[in-house]
Amino acid sequence: MAITIATAMPTSFKVELFKGLHNFTAGSTRFRMALFTAVASGSGTYGAATTNYSQMGSDELPSATGYSRPGELLTSITPTADGTTGILDFANETWGSSSFTTCGGLIYDTGDSNSACAVLSFGGDQTVSSGDFQIQFPAAAAATAIIRIA
Amino acid sequence: MISTAGSMEVGMVKVGTMSGRGFTPEEIAEQALDQIISIGNNSHPVIQAQAEAFRTEIRGVLVSYLRQAVASHNTTLTNRFLDAGHPELVKLLEA
Repeated sequence: MAITIATAMPTSFKVELFKGLHNFTAGSTRFRMALFTAVASGSGTYGAATTNYSQMGSDELPSATGYSRPGELLTSITPTADGTTGILDFANETWGSSSFTTCGGLIYDTGDSNSACAVLSFGGDQTVSSGDFQIQFPAAAAATAIIRIA
Repeated sequence: MISTAGSMEVGMVKVGTMSGRGFTPEEIAEQALDQIISIGNNSHPVIQAQAEAFRTEIRGVLVSYLRQAVASHNTTLTNRFLDAGHPELVKLLEA
């Protein structure tokens, strides 16, 4: 088996937004990003149907050189508007002095029972060896922001 | 006309990996620039040119200050190594 992962906004997250369950205002320390193992090391399917961090199970990278479960806290940047599009951004996240291989990540909300906010595919395995591994979030703009509502 | 059309989307992250080292001030400056300024392909050429010039100027400032930060941090590390009785480790910072 292998991990199947697609960049997607979980359907459950869309519903939760309407229920007012997530607050991305700067200063909140509730959003984390967990990393998946290498494609061949796991077996789950992740995408729009993913609802919770708990689904990662053994498909999450084990705590090892540079990575610690349950992932890193993200620094939220208060959501804003670009034109008529609502946009959300996070500060880039770096795992320093790391050695691991990962194929994707999951952003989830620890303030809402670890519910999934975004599934991110890295387009295949990404390997870091005794170096820095960094997630660079896209520019906070209507056409690019990591999470946006048009 | 009233329209209710809209969409909710997830953007694409970039992954940066370094082997055997961390990021340099120049590399981090580029990442910061992507957050500070983005230039749309459909922008007027004059606006694009101004944005590119601004981007170049900001890049230089960022790199300069990031290098200062690294040098300053190395000073802190040097003092920690010396305080801990390991002056030989200071040479590693100078490599």
